[in-house]
Amino acid sequence: MGIGFSRIDDLGRTMIKNIEYTLRVLLMVYLSLRATVVDQTQGLRTIFSVVSSQIYFTGFQALPLIFVLALASGGIVVLQSASQLSLLGGTDLLGNLLVVIIVRELGPLMTALVVIARSGTAVASEVGNMRANREIEALEVLGINPLSYIVFPRLVGGVLSVLCLSFYFTLIALSGGFAVTWLMNEMPLSFYLDSLAQAVAFEDIWLFLVKNTFSGMIIFVVSCYQGLSVKRSPTEVPVVTTQAVVKSIIYVVVFNLTVSGLFYIQQFMQLGVL
Amino acid sequence: MKKSSIESIRFEGLQFCFETGEVIFENVDFEFPTKKLIWVQAESGSGRSTLLQILAGLQLPTKGKFLLNDQNVADMSFEEFLPYRLNIGYGFDFGGLIHNRSLLENLTLPLLYHKIESPDVAQEKAQELLLDFGVLKYKDQRPAVVPGGVRKLICLLRAIIHEPEMLLLDDPSVGLSQDTALKYFDRIEQMKKRGKCQHIFVSSFDEKLMGLLQHEEIYVDCGQIYQNVNEKEKKVVNL
Repeated sequence: MGIGFSRIDDLGRTMIKNIEYTLRVLLMVYLSLRATVVDQTQGLRTIFSVVSSQIYFTGFQALPLIFVLALASGGIVVLQSASQLSLLGGTDLLGNLLVVIIVRELGPLMTALVVIARSGTAVASEVGNMRANREIEALEVLGINPLSYIVFPRLVGGVLSVLCLSFYFTLIALSGGFAVTWLMNEMPLSFYLDSLAQAVAFEDIWLFLVKNTFSGMIIFVVSCYQGLSVKRSPTEVPVVTTQAVVKSIIYVVVFNLTVSGLFYIQQFMQLGVL
Repeated sequence: MKKSSIESIRFEGLQFCFETGEVIFENVDFEFPTKKLIWVQAESGSGRSTLLQILAGLQLPTKGKFLLNDQNVADMSFEEFLPYRLNIGYGFDFGGLIHNRSLLENLTLPLLYHKIESPDVAQEKAQELLLDFGVLKYKDQRPAVVPGGVRKLICLLRAIIHEPEMLLLDDPSVGLSQDTALKYFDRIEQMKKRGKCQHIFVSSFDEKLMGLLQHEEIYVDCGQIYQNVNEKEKKVVNL
């Protein structure tokens, strides 16, 4: 009996800690946005230079990795599903299946995982080292708000990069899918494109944008927050970097699942099932 | 952005403790002398650096008030405190340079960010300082690749490049030669004559250097700040 209660207590404590963490992270998003709007001196030029370098490191440099992953994912999804669908005589549904798996789920999730591994770690360790080297304090002393100078441009650059990378992933995955179907079934391109065009709906674009925008925001806010949580010692940097990766993955996966869940509930409600 | 002049600096019932619970200041009421060079003395770990950080607005008191011109700093937002901040220079005891910028860019950063000077004037001002201190050859290098003494010097020069009214120097002579340190204080003296760098707070163990400078002393001990000689006797630290 006692053990049961202590488990409930632990669960409660974990929930409260996570809610508190989420609120702190959301507060940082608000404060960085506020600081950027209020800070008259920073200027668009300063923001743009950090945003562009963030897009270069997060977006452009990740293109080869995303290309390989997308091509392989698209190929595998089509290979597996086409063989099963042909057995059931549902080859026409291939487009629907690709849109559901790649556009709605795999694209946003795989892109987010790649960005967490490449850039989330980089941002967390960079900001953490800045804290340990007292660069953040130096910025404050110089009257430069670290939230508008460090956090906001990384957030904007990160969100834009994730959106573009995810679009690129989807494009390559669907191309890879076509390459496999063409090799296996000699499916004409027009049939493949037609199947995809019929399957894509307005909701898919909406879902794609929501998932990627918020995933990008989660990754970079969590990474900056963890980096800024370093107190003094450089030995804290690897610890906060690991925490940034773990927390980003958990938050991104939970967010993606929640959005997908809500989307399907809404679909069922439209169909009158719920 | 217009700088706000600093007329008075005061602690009112100020308490400061770290997250670990370690108490540094307890119920301190103190009016800091102004328009003077103040030598902040204390034993290691007694709160010298913390005092300077509170004066720079880098740390906020746990309780009580830190008043600049009778305005409580804790009640101000970042933007409201900015006019004061632009009139405060801070020399770190270690670190504090922006690592992805060259030494010249580190020096010009406060001038250019706040549009205090045009890019040409800012460059000229920074190069003149670097030349005067014999470190111009390092201007395009990043902090990681220059000697520690140069890093320390650049940090100190950055604290005075925007000609602040209040200057806070944490162990300024550590890592510097005696000549360079004296030259730096000579530069401050020249600025003081021009009406800049009026309130200077120096935390240092360098008795030889401080002996060469005209100063007043304050003591930090047992969570309190003392200034007068009689009060000095109350303190238990042996400096």
